[in-house]
Amino acid sequence: MKIRDMSKCLEEFEQLCRAFLKSKTIVDKEGVPQFYVRLLADLEDYLNQLWEDKEGKKKMNKNNAKALSTLRQKIRKYNKDFETEITSYKENPEQSAEEEEKDDAGSASSSESDDDDDDDEGVTAKSLLKKKPQEEEKKAPEASKFLKGAADEESESEDDEESEDWGSDSVDSGSESEDNEGAAASLAVVFLKKAQDGDKQTDRKKDDRRKKHKKKERLEEEADEEGDGEEGGWEKVKGGVPLVKEKPKMFAKGTEINSAVVIKKLSEILQARGKKGTDRAAQIELFHALAGISNENNLGEGILVKIKFNIVSSLYDYNPNLAAFMKPEMWKKCLECIDELLDILFNNNNIFIGENIAEDSENLAISDQPFRVRGCILTLVERMDEEFTKVMQNTDPHSQEYVDNLKDEGRVCGIIDRLLQYLESKGSTEEVCRVFLRRIMHTYYKFDYKAHRRSLGLQGETKSEQDQEESEGEDSAVIMDRLCKFIYAKDRTDRIRTCAILCHIYHHALHSRWFQARDLMLMSHLQDNIQHADPPVQILYNRTMVQLGICAFRQGMIKDAHNALLDIQSSGRAKELLGQGLLMRNMQERNAEQEKIEKRRQVPFHMHINLELLECVYLVSAMLLEIPYMAAHEFDARRRMISKQFHHQLRVGERQPLLGPPESMREHVVAASKAMKMGDWKTCHSFIINEKMNSKVWDLFPEAQRVQEMLVRKIQEESLRTYLFTYSSVYDSISMKTLSEMFELDLPTVHSIISKMIINEELMASLDQPTQTVVMHRTEPKSLQNMALQLAEKLGGLVENNERVFDLKQGVYGGYFNRDQKGGYQQKQGYQRAPDQRGGYQQRQGYQRDHKGGYQQKQNYQRGGYRTQNQSSY
Amino acid sequence: GDRLNGFENGKTQLLCLCVRLQVVLKIIKHYQEEGQGSEVVQGVLLGLVVEDRLEITNCFPFPQHTEDDVDFDEVQYQMEMMRSLRHVNIDHLHVGWYQSTYYGSFVSRALLDSQFSYQHAIEESVVLIYDPIKTAQGSLCLKAYRLTPKLMEICKEKDFSPEALKKACIGYEHMLEEVPIVIKNSHLINVLLLDLQEKSTVADKHELLNLSSSNHLEKSLQLLMDRVDGMSQEIVKYNTYCRNLTKQQQQKQQYLQRRQQENTQRQSRGEPPLPEEDINKMFKPPQAPPRMDTLLIAGQVNNYCQNIKAFTSQNLGKLFMAEALQGHSS
Repeated sequence: MKIRDMSKCLEEFEQLCRAFLKSKTIVDKEGVPQFYVRLLADLEDYLNQLWEDKEGKKKMNKNNAKALSTLRQKIRKYNKDFETEITSYKENPEQSAEEEEKDDAGSASSSESDDDDDDDEGVTAKSLLKKKPQEEEKKAPEASKFLKGAADEESESEDDEESEDWGSDSVDSGSESEDNEGAAASLAVVFLKKAQDGDKQTDRKKDDRRKKHKKKERLEEEADEEGDGEEGGWEKVKGGVPLVKEKPKMFAKGTEINSAVVIKKLSEILQARGKKGTDRAAQIELFHALAGISNENNLGEGILVKIKFNIVSSLYDYNPNLAAFMKPEMWKKCLECIDELLDILFNNNNIFIGENIAEDSENLAISDQPFRVRGCILTLVERMDEEFTKVMQNTDPHSQEYVDNLKDEGRVCGIIDRLLQYLESKGSTEEVCRVFLRRIMHTYYKFDYKAHRRSLGLQGETKSEQDQEESEGEDSAVIMDRLCKFIYAKDRTDRIRTCAILCHIYHHALHSRWFQARDLMLMSHLQDNIQHADPPVQILYNRTMVQLGICAFRQGMIKDAHNALLDIQSSGRAKELLGQGLLMRNMQERNAEQEKIEKRRQVPFHMHINLELLECVYLVSAMLLEIPYMAAHEFDARRRMISKQFHHQLRVGERQPLLGPPESMREHVVAASKAMKMGDWKTCHSFIINEKMNSKVWDLFPEAQRVQEMLVRKIQEESLRTYLFTYSSVYDSISMKTLSEMFELDLPTVHSIISKMIINEELMASLDQPTQTVVMHRTEPKSLQNMALQLAEKLGGLVENNERVFDLKQGVYGGYFNRDQKGGYQQKQGYQRAPDQRGGYQQRQGYQRDHKGGYQQKQNYQRGGYRTQNQSSY
Repeated sequence: GDRLNGFENGKTQLLCLCVRLQVVLKIIKHYQEEGQGSEVVQGVLLGLVVEDRLEITNCFPFPQHTEDDVDFDEVQYQMEMMRSLRHVNIDHLHVGWYQSTYYGSFVSRALLDSQFSYQHAIEESVVLIYDPIKTAQGSLCLKAYRLTPKLMEICKEKDFSPEALKKACIGYEHMLEEVPIVIKNSHLINVLLLDLQEKSTVADKHELLNLSSSNHLEKSLQLLMDRVDGMSQEIVKYNTYCRNLTKQQQQKQQYLQRRQQENTQRQSRGEPPLPEEDINKMFKPPQAPPRMDTLLIAGQVNNYCQNIKAFTSQNLGKLFMAEALQGHSS
């Protein structure tokens, strides 16, 4: 108003009137609020003053002048309704200001308790204010200033309509200077009031009121503080306002603080929850304050528990959307609260909590009966666990912060453990299952080094460590076993059981209990229906399968390892399937919403499975399987690939124009594969196991040494096989001793490998016992012969196709179906025989032909033609 | 003027092809310099027609050019080249083209098309096929081919449907006719050659007697197999076409019958018969697969077979010879 922006003033005035109308019901009940009257009166005075000031009027621009006149008329009209009040105000402006304070406090506290207490509380509020005489004194002499401020506020209030901000703003200035405590006090009142009625419009009215305070203080302060003070001050409030100071404002002094009052208050605060204008941070503060009060007054644990419940849930509420994660301080507070809550629950056996207890059947007061409190500690803890995951997901995994956050895991586990104890004695089986699952989820992926060391028979390095070990209780395997078995037996929801099984398998696999893990996987039949599960469970399943595969690899079950990893690796999306990161994809496939959902599914970094290790294990097992297979089926026309991924890597390796020494893990494997193809196991070995690979992959295994030994042996064996496949055609006979020297395997092993190959008809040879040699039979066709066989096969197909055309022309249907089955298949069999049997094959084919009987005679001339062609091409 | 002698009436057959040694050497050189593996080199043949034979007196290669230089104009280059040759008094009449081949794989659509356009424009054109691999084995392999008049007809019609080919009675045997080649030199060159023969030290290696056969055979078999696969595919295509056709025929028949029945019923009731609809519109015959490719493949397969047969019979002879030699020496 100082700036005489009358048009703004007019606008604000109109808004004010509207707000007043809206809150008419309350006004009707309570009478016209003093501050409103005062405002109206002051405004009128000011306008009149302006009106008189002719010179000033001339200076005004057109808009303002116009606005001034309209406003003046309006307020005249409007004020007629409040004539009596205004006159009484004008008579005694100071008192009414005071009264208004009183009234404010009164109305606030009246909402707290019954209306009857109005007078009484009004007095208390007044006395409360009187405690700060400074404030009061200031108010009176500076009425004019105040006046200005009030008007001025109007001109500025348009820049900030959000009531919350105003609130915190004024608190900010309140905490700045000592004498402003009164303001803070009334502010708190306003807060309460606001929280209570939740009516935004009334809020605004209150806001106006607060604004006045603020403006006044502002005037006292430097003008420049206004702009930048806001943000910083906001932060200060949250943790800064001491409880003691605020306490009196919760309840008027002198009110007998009993449980009924506190409960009432609690429900008031609760009602504001979730409303748009509620300041969530302030709400949490209020809860804390309330908790302090109830504690001080020994209202009993019932109420305390109830309040704590609410604190935690409002902490959860603090973030409006699901994706955001808790701020560190919030998170710490949350942990503390839950801890305290559990403390209370443990210390007091007579508290019953549950979701099913209805609000009105709660028993919070101290009485002979046990406390009954509505609320579910399990849900809180579950939510806490989820929040923890969220915090971990949103922290940069390579920062110190992550490590710090991860330290909280111990506390989370501790809480879950305590809850577990608590629920084991009190909860229903369902709840126990749920909390068990939580416990399992925090256990399954951790490698139990203690148990591992113990199983190896190693003692702790020092005596104290050993003591610690012993005191630290059971192995995680035992815990897992106990928890999972309980869930298997008791759980009725399929999901928890599925998760428990998967975690159990994972844990087994992680600790190299391959057979248990495999049996559990097979018995659970999860593979059949996992595709119907929800994505998080599927991710868990994938993780489990991968861990199973890696376990199989460590145990030397190469084939099992390969099979387990095949699904994950062949898709090329291992990262995504394991929930360890999003693949870059274009936006068509995934919009922002989906991306958010997917991000929420990610597994926190400390639970990740090393992807390079995974790929290396897969490629090495593929190599051990594929290379001998390729050597054995070199000339096979339709040989199948065991692992496409591996072939792809080989091809990439081949495409390289310049082959340097291998750098990456993949290059190492490719180089090793090439060496193995030549039967050169030593080179292969040096490529697979060396410094680089050790640091990249093998050292990640808990039993690196053992795994490496196993690998070397496998490489030797498979190289031997490859060598025999590849070069058997060169040898007439070869001594097993030479072979065993070449591959550094002992004779019995060589003997058994070769015997196996002979039995499986992979190697056409026989063993000569006395001389310990392998005698080759030379039945393998040469490449040209192979080619000829392939050609014959193809021509067979061609003939068949041709005959179909012919059949069609003849109008004979179905005739070729017979031939399809008989001819085609048997021919194929025939081709695979060794060449010396080819005569037989031809005979058989001829026989077949003849067998076809009558139908064939019709087409004899055709047949003859084909046959000669067929035979000539052999 | 000469060139019009025999061919103006279009009746005379080319009986013989006279090729100058110079041309042969040039072609070989061209391949040696630019061809590699399965890559193919091509060039233009120059010469003239004398009575019933075509004399090829000179040639020049098509330059290799990558796809980068788009503005390269092949026709322009040829005209330019021929003009320049005329200036030095060399026969400048375009009488065909030559191409190298890889294990005898030359019967292809591309060859058919270009030879057709040559023969269409210049009737006496031939294509010379040079097989460097066989030549490397010891015997010069140079063959001249022309499209048969029948095939020319079909190509002119551009109708490769099964019916048309059937009507034309054309098989893979009748697609290309081989023209015998005589390598003829001027007496001066003959004299020079005889002279050189005296002087030159003959190479010790006799590729002719090389016993190793598997490599060549394998390659040939691979190519053959590839073509057989192609053939199979074509046949399957044709097969489905035939089946679709018969199926539709049946449907058509059924439809007609039903229509007839209805009409007789209507007639008995005294109603007007249903109007005849265009049946062909209702049953559009399926698109017939072009059979030209099949023919070409068959021709190619035949070619491979001939090659392999020739090769194996030669090799068998060599093997018997070697065996006899071995028996003799031991």
